[in-house]
Amino acid sequence: MSRKLVRRLLQRTLPRHCLITDPVALKPYETDGLTAIRQPPWLVALPETESQVAAVLRICREHAVPVVPRGAGTGLSGGARPVEGGVVVGLSRLNKILEVDLDNCVACLQPGVRNLAISEAVAEHGLYYAPDPSSQIACSIGGNVAENSGGVHCLKYGLTVHNVVGLKVLMMTGEVLHLGGRGQELDGYDLLALMCGSEGMLGVVTEVWVKLLPVPPVKKVLLAAFAQVSAAAAAVSEIITAGLIPAGLEMMDRLAIQAAEAYVHAGYPLDAQAILLCELDGVAQEVEADAALVERLLRDLGAIDVQIADDPQAQARLWLGRKAAFPAVGRLAPDYYCMDGTIPRYRLAEVLQQIESLSVEYKLRVANVFHAGDGNLHPLILYDADIPGELEKAEAMGGRILELCVAAGGTITGEHGVGVEKLDQMCVQFNSDELEQFERLKAAFDPAGIANPGKAIPTLTRCAEIGGMHVHNGKLPFRNLERF
Amino acid sequence: MQTKLPEAIVATTKGRRAEQILRSCVHCGFCNATCPTYELLGDELDGPRGRIYLIKEMLEAQKVESVTVTHLDRCLTCRACETTCPSGVEYSQLLEIARDYVSSNYRRDLLDRLKRLWLIRTVPYKRRFRRWAQLGRAMRWFLPKRLREMLPVASTVEALQATPPVSPSVAASSVLLLNGCVQQVTTPQVNAALRELLAARGIAVVELAEEGCCGALELHLGKEPGALATMRNLLDTLAPRLDEVDAVISTASGCGITLKDYPRLLKDDATHGKLARRLGDKLLDVGEYLLSLDLSWRKQDEVLAVALHQPCTLQHGQKLGDEARQLLQNAGYDLVAVRDEHSCCGSAGTYSLLQAKLSSQLRDRKISCLESGQPDVIATSNVGCHTHLAVAASVPVVHWIELLR
Amino acid sequence: MADRDISDELQESIAQARDAGVSVAIAGSGSKEFLVHSDTETTQSRLLSVAEHTGVVAYRPAELVITARAGTPLRELAALLARANQMLPFEPPLFRGMGTLGGAIASGLAGSGRPWRGSVRDAVLGVVMINGLGQKLTFGGQVMKNVAGYDVSRLQVGAFGTLGVLLEISIRVIPKPASEMTLKLELDCLESLSKMREWARKPLPITASCYHDNMLYVRLSGAETAVLAGASETGGEIAGDLNWWDKLNDHDLPFFKEPGSLLRQMSPPAQELVNDACVLEWSGAKRWFYGDESEYHGTGTKLFGAGFAQVAVSSPAADPVRGDVQRRIKQAFDPDNVLNPELLRANEAA
Ligand SMILES: Cc1cc2nc3c(=O)[nH]c(=O)nc-3n(C[C@H](O)[C@H](O)[C@H](O)COP(=O)(O)OP(=O)(O)OC[C@H]3O[C@@H](n4cnc5c(N)ncnc54)[C@H](O)[C@@H]3O)c2cc1C
Ligand code: SF4
Ligand code: SF4
Repeated sequence: MSRKLVRRLLQRTLPRHCLITDPVALKPYETDGLTAIRQPPWLVALPETESQVAAVLRICREHAVPVVPRGAGTGLSGGARPVEGGVVVGLSRLNKILEVDLDNCVACLQPGVRNLAISEAVAEHGLYYAPDPSSQIACSIGGNVAENSGGVHCLKYGLTVHNVVGLKVLMMTGEVLHLGGRGQELDGYDLLALMCGSEGMLGVVTEVWVKLLPVPPVKKVLLAAFAQVSAAAAAVSEIITAGLIPAGLEMMDRLAIQAAEAYVHAGYPLDAQAILLCELDGVAQEVEADAALVERLLRDLGAIDVQIADDPQAQARLWLGRKAAFPAVGRLAPDYYCMDGTIPRYRLAEVLQQIESLSVEYKLRVANVFHAGDGNLHPLILYDADIPGELEKAEAMGGRILELCVAAGGTITGEHGVGVEKLDQMCVQFNSDELEQFERLKAAFDPAGIANPGKAIPTLTRCAEIGGMHVHNGKLPFRNLERF
Repeated sequence: MQTKLPEAIVATTKGRRAEQILRSCVHCGFCNATCPTYELLGDELDGPRGRIYLIKEMLEAQKVESVTVTHLDRCLTCRACETTCPSGVEYSQLLEIARDYVSSNYRRDLLDRLKRLWLIRTVPYKRRFRRWAQLGRAMRWFLPKRLREMLPVASTVEALQATPPVSPSVAASSVLLLNGCVQQVTTPQVNAALRELLAARGIAVVELAEEGCCGALELHLGKEPGALATMRNLLDTLAPRLDEVDAVISTASGCGITLKDYPRLLKDDATHGKLARRLGDKLLDVGEYLLSLDLSWRKQDEVLAVALHQPCTLQHGQKLGDEARQLLQNAGYDLVAVRDEHSCCGSAGTYSLLQAKLSSQLRDRKISCLESGQPDVIATSNVGCHTHLAVAASVPVVHWIELLR
Repeated sequence: MADRDISDELQESIAQARDAGVSVAIAGSGSKEFLVHSDTETTQSRLLSVAEHTGVVAYRPAELVITARAGTPLRELAALLARANQMLPFEPPLFRGMGTLGGAIASGLAGSGRPWRGSVRDAVLGVVMINGLGQKLTFGGQVMKNVAGYDVSRLQVGAFGTLGVLLEISIRVIPKPASEMTLKLELDCLESLSKMREWARKPLPITASCYHDNMLYVRLSGAETAVLAGASETGGEIAGDLNWWDKLNDHDLPFFKEPGSLLRQMSPPAQELVNDACVLEWSGAKRWFYGDESEYHGTGTKLFGAGFAQVAVSSPAADPVRGDVQRRIKQAFDPDNVLNPELLRANEAA
């Protein structure tokens, strides 16, 4: 398919300022939050209305041109990285809040609405939208749905999938899928859950209905400093064993603390090896009781210092530092490579120890900042892309970390998605039957395979190439390779 | 972020600095969220992250493309992105380098060049600017709407004859007040009010007889050599008076920010660099200064609720702003809540002339945020914002100094 | 608790059925049979019972996750969890006191705590299943967060086995609340509806609310102090019947035994539709009443009785796009239509 023809068709369909064709202007669209992976697109369309989105998709369908949906471009797995010969459909201009329904405590949003903008818009009603990825200031709700994003508060309040109640999806077949909305449960197959985390490969989301929750009247944030990472890890399990589900339970190690402190000046203890941030929320009496219990637990488990932030400003500062920790690490090294493995909580200390050994082995520093309560690790491998070979080293080490996670009974990605980044590790986690099942499922939505192709699900050939040595469920994964 | 700047660029001081800044950006995109032009236009290229990328590409290719210029020109230099950036990326310095690069490696079209030339030759010179302003007022109805809106408000043009400084006989302390070029023409009442306030409290106000421009205008238009000359000139005029005073202040945060930046801008100039640092030691924003004096204030009787507009040059540039809030509260005013406080009003120096459409869209947004709390007045601390907002606001716009008694 | 792994046999049965060109009808304990078939219907499918496939595969209370085989009785599961002071978040109905984990997941029916504690699919973290090709597949996992690949695990919830035979399911569990209290307020249906909605906007420790028979019931859970504080806000008197919510969930209240067609509506009711004779749950989002289903087309209303499963799993005919997509998904998992094909007949007719 010639670029010229598609370009002409799109030019005829979209206003001038909604189509980017100049190669220089296309460059900044070649990557998302994961800059190590880049590919300039053919074209970028920035539609302003849903019908323009539909028109772009129609042209792409008729000419079999791949479509890459893009929200705010904060993704960390290359999900919105363009594909060669493809059109990027940027949804940033569809950024209106269409409806706030106070009777049913739901809101209807266009996909480009920023996550934080939802809570800001409904704050006057005492409501908020619970999932709060650290990138919430910038990331879009459409991107959140596509990645099933979590946040520092999802231990108690769930991931995107738990907080989205309706979607409108433009499918690549030209069909429009309406799922849920104001109500709470759907008939038929749970396509809504399936759309969450589908990385833009099943269609383009153009409307999102989200659940709004009442803002908890009282919050307390405890900051506990530990002299050992393992002690902090142990405390995480203890808190949960005690029957508590904190609103957030996060951990940062020394490097991450230093970087975050340099940005927010929140008063994190710089001499600690690890800190835990534990937020308790709810009605006053309950929070008081829980906070006392957690404080006692933390001290018993060897916390060298426990501070409690009661006032909203101090709390906000503590969270700001946590939420800005990834980019703040940019102060320590020019580049970082962010991992996203999830493991059972009880193996935290052990896996962190192994990561530390890898850090020594590869001679690359690692900053750890993560959702401890969910067992969702984010080791940030610090490197310098300008030093030849460092990126490759960082990637190799990252791969090893993810394999560690799988071996510990966990998964290669908790919330950032597979994108193009973790395709190889998908071969470790899934066998060929499972991968083929994914492929058939995708074909049910996108038979032509033009929705964000080449992401999330590796081809069997790729898996075969990177080595059929991985053992899955006690079986070699590619026993039926002879089929192709 | 990985960069591959060519040797020729890295060999220069600026090139090295640019590389450093580029590499400190991790491409997280947080900054886009608070960038006024990204909010308005929703295009990566009109947000800081995209601009940084365009600059990187430009320096890597050593070639200035017109789309790059288009998107860099749309930047307000409001620096909201710097406030937001967790990685500490000094975007405005990168932009300064980029604009300088553009101005020496790119030929703008004729109209654009003329506009910029006119701005540089007129605005910083208060007599020329005054003449243009008067001429403009006379021909008001023949001018296109956008230019008309730019004109100083009627009363102020007439009330031009600067009030002579009142010096109390026995001064407790003394302060050098910089008047700024545009402010003397458009809103002279601000400094007049300040002089009165200070005089009444026994503080001597020293002013310069022939005060030149601070250089901000040329700097923002990418004319660095000219800007530096203007700065040296001002420093020379200032130098003899520095020892007489306890502090040097400006009531326009747009001038203040540039003045505070002198030591960096002139660091390669031995004599003026030193002068700049001496100035830097005494330089304060008027809010900082007044708050440090620990004086008491009264409020104007008829005004109750104030919407405080924080100029970008104050909140993002100088990381200040609470001082004015504090002073107004001390004086007994109610401050109404203002939505999207971080966001620029679109004035941004010459931006309102060069990017008139975006500028007025931003202004209208800002005014709706400022007026949503139903204030009696809008108070600001920069002359540019002051006149820009006054055109469209439905309540009076003042410098907060004018509210103190 | 019985601990038996018959996954190989199950896999074998499906392969055989597929080769023989016959279909299978998957069954657990049979507690939800009444939602599938009326007594008079006959079936050509071979019966595939998962009831023997039982036992807990992994359970570490500190992880808040339990993994069990599909045939494990819900009762036993609940008892095991209770020993660690934990519970299933979605309060599955135990019709006739029975029910297996697999059945609860496949039917996707959640109890009255649904808006606060989440739906069945909200709690599902991973599955091991056999698809219609007889392949044993693992999706999701035993950790809280997992976005590797499409969320096939949650897709099984409410699919009534039409996409696969569930073998093992990992579920997120929650701590039992330290204390719990049920209050009742004498209010009519409309008053109750607006009360429920008002509460939903407030931070109260509510975990269930229901209007029934001119009475609004509300359950408060959490720390004792919090429950007491909540009670002073909601008002009402303490309801005596400790098992009231179980009776509601299991349809043991007299209301559910009345003659006539019991209908379930799952969209927020228009005010004019609610009346004092209905039962309202989930802050008003779920309504039970008696009537003629055909009068409520397009309002998310279904007959809750024989044929419910067919309608539940086939998308409503009102949305042909969803019907088509579902058919294609079924194809993707079970191209030869081996698994519970009868449930999709309604869909095919449409
Ligand atoms: C500093 C930093 C911190 C982060 N912290 C977290 C965190 O705590 N938790 C977390 O979960 N993630 C986190 N992320 C990752 C990222 O922010 C999330 O994945 C986010 O949801 C991506 O949203 P986006 O709008 O930027 O999407 P993009 O990056 O633009 O796109 C992401 C994917 O979604 C698809 N997509 C986007 N919009 C649509 C649509 N409308 N329809 C269909 N598909 C679409 C794209 O094709 C792509 O595959 C972080 C990222 C950064 C840079
Ligand atoms: S916030 Fe800072 S690090 Fe992130 S993209 Fe913007 S400038 Fe770069
Ligand atoms: S200075 Fe202002 S307008 Fe320019 S990129 Fe930064 S935030 Fe955007």
